[in-house]
Amino acid sequence: MFATIARLMVKRIFTAIPILFVVSALLFCILRILPVDPAAMSLPPNATVQEVEAMRREMGLDRPLYDQYSIWLGKLLHGDIGRSIHFRQDVTSLIGSTLPATIELAVIAMVVATVFGLAGGLLLFYVRGTRAEAVMDFASILLLSLPEFLWSLFLLLIFGVFFEVLPFTGRLSPGFERPVVTGFLLLDSLITGKFSSFFNALEHMILPCLALGIALSPSLMRVLRSSLMDAYQDDYIHQARLRGLSEARILIRHALKNAILPTLSLMGVQFGFLFGGTLLVEIIYSYPGMGNLMVDAIRNADLPIIQGAGLTYCVAVLVISIIVDSLYLILNPKLRAR
Amino acid sequence: MRPIPLWLKSGRVQTGLVILFVLSCVAIFAPYLAPNDPNEQNLLSILTPPLWSAGADPMFPLGTDSLGRCILSRLIFGTRVALTVAFSAAIGAMVIGAILAHIAGYFGGWVDWLIGRVVEIWLSFPPVILSLILMVGLGTGLRNVVLAIILVDWTRFCRVLRSEVIVLRRRDYVAAAQLVGFSHWRTITREILPGTLPLLITLMSLEMGVAVIVEAVLSFVGMSVGSETPAWGQMIADARQNIYEAPFNLIAPIFAIFIAVFGFNILGDGLRRTLDTRLTQTERT
Repeated sequence: MFATIARLMVKRIFTAIPILFVVSALLFCILRILPVDPAAMSLPPNATVQEVEAMRREMGLDRPLYDQYSIWLGKLLHGDIGRSIHFRQDVTSLIGSTLPATIELAVIAMVVATVFGLAGGLLLFYVRGTRAEAVMDFASILLLSLPEFLWSLFLLLIFGVFFEVLPFTGRLSPGFERPVVTGFLLLDSLITGKFSSFFNALEHMILPCLALGIALSPSLMRVLRSSLMDAYQDDYIHQARLRGLSEARILIRHALKNAILPTLSLMGVQFGFLFGGTLLVEIIYSYPGMGNLMVDAIRNADLPIIQGAGLTYCVAVLVISIIVDSLYLILNPKLRAR
Repeated sequence: MRPIPLWLKSGRVQTGLVILFVLSCVAIFAPYLAPNDPNEQNLLSILTPPLWSAGADPMFPLGTDSLGRCILSRLIFGTRVALTVAFSAAIGAMVIGAILAHIAGYFGGWVDWLIGRVVEIWLSFPPVILSLILMVGLGTGLRNVVLAIILVDWTRFCRVLRSEVIVLRRRDYVAAAQLVGFSHWRTITREILPGTLPLLITLMSLEMGVAVIVEAVLSFVGMSVGSETPAWGQMIADARQNIYEAPFNLIAPIFAIFIAVFGFNILGDGLRRTLDTRLTQTERT
């Protein structure tokens, strides 16, 4: 089994390389047609025309576009995405310090989405054919109409402003120690035994993760419901009933095991969206992750960061899809046989 | 008189259409409905509360924002941007996505391979990130917002429609049309397109909802229309700064976005149920 999974992963990594190559070229081109001059921006406003010209030469901006791209790509392969024009810092270190926060947010949000999605899907299936179904079905469309963007604001208003029970800015309240080992705050505070920091950080994560998770769950619910419906058409359900198994056991041990697969592959796609969705949630909750870095960079027309962060988002999506595909293989014995 | 078509009898479709009709009327007649100029700043009365709370100014039924601009008027004028983007972006994305999907699904082979790879590259970008980057490249403005959404979302149509075209291409009547000597163009438009049309319409309705959200997101981060055009996302960004003083300023645009998206979604869901020939009769009702 591991050989099959390893083969799949190698194959997927090889197809991901050309994709990343094209993506990097696209990113480069889109941002080079921008009507801003990176050379002029990285100099003080009183720089002379000669100084700007010299800077342009130094940055390679006087060469043809494909030349510029190959230089950029060459540096990229050595892990050098350039220096931020605005923050005057290496882009790699800027991304390195914000990416763990975003990953932490995305992973916990995904857990929330899975819990809500599974519970909701089972509930939707359980009430099938009753009057409650129409109500719940309608409710799931209502929920589908609220993206994470609106959920974040909504939860912030209710729990942050009206009831004032949960914090809604940043990762940690002032006065709490911020241990740095891996960059993953929850993990670091546990490792170093700073439990008060851990619980405070966890409190800060509740609203953003709920917003992302709840926004994602309705589509999972609906897919799980319909694949459960399909599974119940199959003979093994009848056979299980004839064997006298309880309905709950049939649902959990027999139908769910088969129905979970389409839900899982949808989750793979959704996790990619969720990773992008963190951007908005981060801005709304002033959460210091890559989304905030990206938007700051956009406001300052800081090209190196936009390119670097854009590329990092793509790598993240590709990595997630490879992991989900491998998981799919582990959970689906039918695919493993070949 | 012709009988009412089945899809119009669906309560969901009716709900969706009513919501969209009301919103369209608000957008078209915005100058007559709005009590104030949406861009007029009244720095003497900033952040006034809505009519039902103490200290309200009857001039501004829903209160004012941090620059003293009338919330209700901005809400009404914001409908224009939202609906313009929804309709034009959805149509644009549909046209590009549908054409490529029909070409890929019908001809197969290397064309299919090529289009499939392009879609794959597109999907490796989270949509929010791609649209933001495109807006950076294109610059702000209504036309560019529409363009950015089209360039991001055509893949939604392409992916789903392509597999539908592949199913339809194998049908006997398509083979018959080819045997009779129909051109490829005629086979696609006369034999395959009628089969994909229900899905196309459904997807388009859902895409309009997506476009409303994306526009709100872009204007929230200040990368959509210019500040002189009122948009719901801008209102949210402004209200976010004064969340304790004027929480209602935040609720109003959220509610507007929600209503618009809900209208498109319920319409799409209703159309899917009534137009999809593969659903059984019981699932439709």
